[in-house]
Amino acid sequence: MTDDRPDAAAADASSTSDVSGSARERGPAQFSDDDNDDGDGSHLPDDPDAVRHRTPSDVFADATLVSGEPIVVVEDMNKYFGTFHALHDINLKVVKGEVVVVIGPSGSGKSTLIRCINRLEEHDSGHITVDGTELTHDVRNIAAIRRETGMVFQSFNLFPHLTVLDNITLAPRQVRKMSRADAETAAMALLEKVRILEQANKYPGQLSGGQQQRVAIARALAMQPKIMLFDEPTSALDPEMINEVLDTMKALAETGMTMIVVTHEMGFAREVADRVVFMADGSIVEVGTPEHFFSNPQESRTRQFLAQIL
Amino acid sequence: MTSTTWRVWLRRNLFRNLRDGIITLLTAFIAGWILWKVLRFVLITGRWEIVERNLALFMYGRYPREDLWRITLALCVAAFVTTMLFSMWSRADRAGVKRSPRTMLGEIGRRWWPLIVLGIVLLSFVTTVGPWIAACAAISCLFAGALLGRALSSAPVRIRGSAVAVTMLGIVVLLWFLADGLGWDDWGGLMLSLYLAAAGMVLSFPLGVLLAIGRQSSMPIIRSLSIAAIEITRGVPLVVLIILSSEGLGFFFPQDVLPGKVVRVIVVLTIFTAAYVAEIVRGGLQSVPNGQSEAAAALGLSPTRITAFIVLPQALGNVIPALVGQFISLFKDTTLVSIIGLLDVISVSESIRKQSDFKGQGLVAETLVFAGLLFWVGSSTLSRESRRMERRLGVGER
Repeated sequence: MTDDRPDAAAADASSTSDVSGSARERGPAQFSDDDNDDGDGSHLPDDPDAVRHRTPSDVFADATLVSGEPIVVVEDMNKYFGTFHALHDINLKVVKGEVVVVIGPSGSGKSTLIRCINRLEEHDSGHITVDGTELTHDVRNIAAIRRETGMVFQSFNLFPHLTVLDNITLAPRQVRKMSRADAETAAMALLEKVRILEQANKYPGQLSGGQQQRVAIARALAMQPKIMLFDEPTSALDPEMINEVLDTMKALAETGMTMIVVTHEMGFAREVADRVVFMADGSIVEVGTPEHFFSNPQESRTRQFLAQIL
Repeated sequence: MTSTTWRVWLRRNLFRNLRDGIITLLTAFIAGWILWKVLRFVLITGRWEIVERNLALFMYGRYPREDLWRITLALCVAAFVTTMLFSMWSRADRAGVKRSPRTMLGEIGRRWWPLIVLGIVLLSFVTTVGPWIAACAAISCLFAGALLGRALSSAPVRIRGSAVAVTMLGIVVLLWFLADGLGWDDWGGLMLSLYLAAAGMVLSFPLGVLLAIGRQSSMPIIRSLSIAAIEITRGVPLVVLIILSSEGLGFFFPQDVLPGKVVRVIVVLTIFTAAYVAEIVRGGLQSVPNGQSEAAAALGLSPTRITAFIVLPQALGNVIPALVGQFISLFKDTTLVSIIGLLDVISVSESIRKQSDFKGQGLVAETLVFAGLLFWVGSSTLSRESRRMERRLGVGER
């Protein structure tokens, strides 16, 4: 794996970027390399086996790390906030059961990326396909995708006027049309899994931050999603509460849940991630396995970031 | 408490230094003088005969005397329903906390003392036996309602919900029954104000909420219609609308299709209050963090459900004080109907001063103080109950 050079992934992204610092450091040879790959890179490999025989610099080469059915596919996606180009030509494929950790400096577009996946933000160009359904303006597609994706937010966003139990059962009852009894039985089982069964009848304001975030995870899981999105789930927590949330997420990863996690917790990334995606300035700079990513980062931007935080 | 602790308290709080001492004495003097004047007026110089003789007019205007039993019945039902609802949702009753009769009486005294004082004042004016019977019946209904509410408080939500639904239906039937065959325009006195205020509150609240949601709608037609309705109504004085409703509509519609004055006033008060409620609720909607609707959207809830289950409940909880303030001004604004010749408390006090027994005796203070007392009791009870509700809803949030 040492000669794996996923620089095309970076070059692909940064070639359209006018702010990328890495483009300046790149030699002309790499740019031509990039041009060659563009044709391949814009197509998704249908057969995962075929991917293994691609050139190491292929954009999707990292998909070979985990074989399986792709469940989230982002192709050439761009996102603007007004005139600000927030996401540049994002290409990302996540397969079923994979845990992808997205890291990068703040303002790099990590949160925007996963918020686009369940349409909390609308992408401006490119394609996003979740479990075979493409995100379009069709509200039925949006509703279908939101049913399949759970999301956990930095600031928990529990509903303060509802008890823990009602927070969890609201969506199953209203969206999945479960009976109250069924929803509550399922909710209690989830609360037991996140180890806060005894708090079921309290209000969110009566719980600690770590407990609130675990309730938020249970609330998202109650919809039986196929994919879980985590938007910096531990950033708002006091240090002593971070582990209880990370442990819950680890346990969830072990059940085979597909997870896309934006986090600053490098320990979690190293231990749990199948792949690490590094973003900077709205582009995906580098993608790799945790071992590869942390011990042998290819891009100078990545090395610079890792040097700052480790 | 010994005399020394009192002395220490006085020294610390009222006579810390010379300046504090002077301010204390001055304030005490002014307060004492006002209290003396008020007590003298209430107990000695005030000529309350005018109120005593016209108590019935103050209470229900020209409502036919042979039909007064309908009002008594309405009072009993209102008493029953109110206490039933209150104790159904009382936290202590739901938690099964046993309270001694003494603490319960204490709580009733603290919460309802203005009403109790008013009841005593009214009964002290009464010379016949009828009102005493009505009062006894109403008080028994209060307790019966409390007992039933208590029994229902531990019942499942569905049963409590249907109890509320039955109650609402009962109120509608009751109102129809009160007006049945008597026409609306015989209504008067405090009963008219209470009725106008209650109808205005019940009708303007949903309308105001709809306007607030409409104002934030993404559909341009609904949004601009809502904005127009709100801003036009808020830009016009209520008096203008009331006079217009009674005198001005004849230009646009034939008289015989128009409902009576009372109904027209209810419509005006409803629209006027709804515009203000809409702006209050809009403030509440904006106070709910965006993350709340995002979290709900991420769970797959539809925009309608997000508003109904997540945003609106929190928004309304945040604006209870402002809403109740608006309803209190609605209650007081009902006195404006005296302008269009309805016999409300103010027109009653105007007209009884012209009675032959009291003509030219300058009994303005007596009649208006009594009218003011009636409104103060209602308003202060509303505002205290709203503070209680606010405190209760605040528990366990954020």
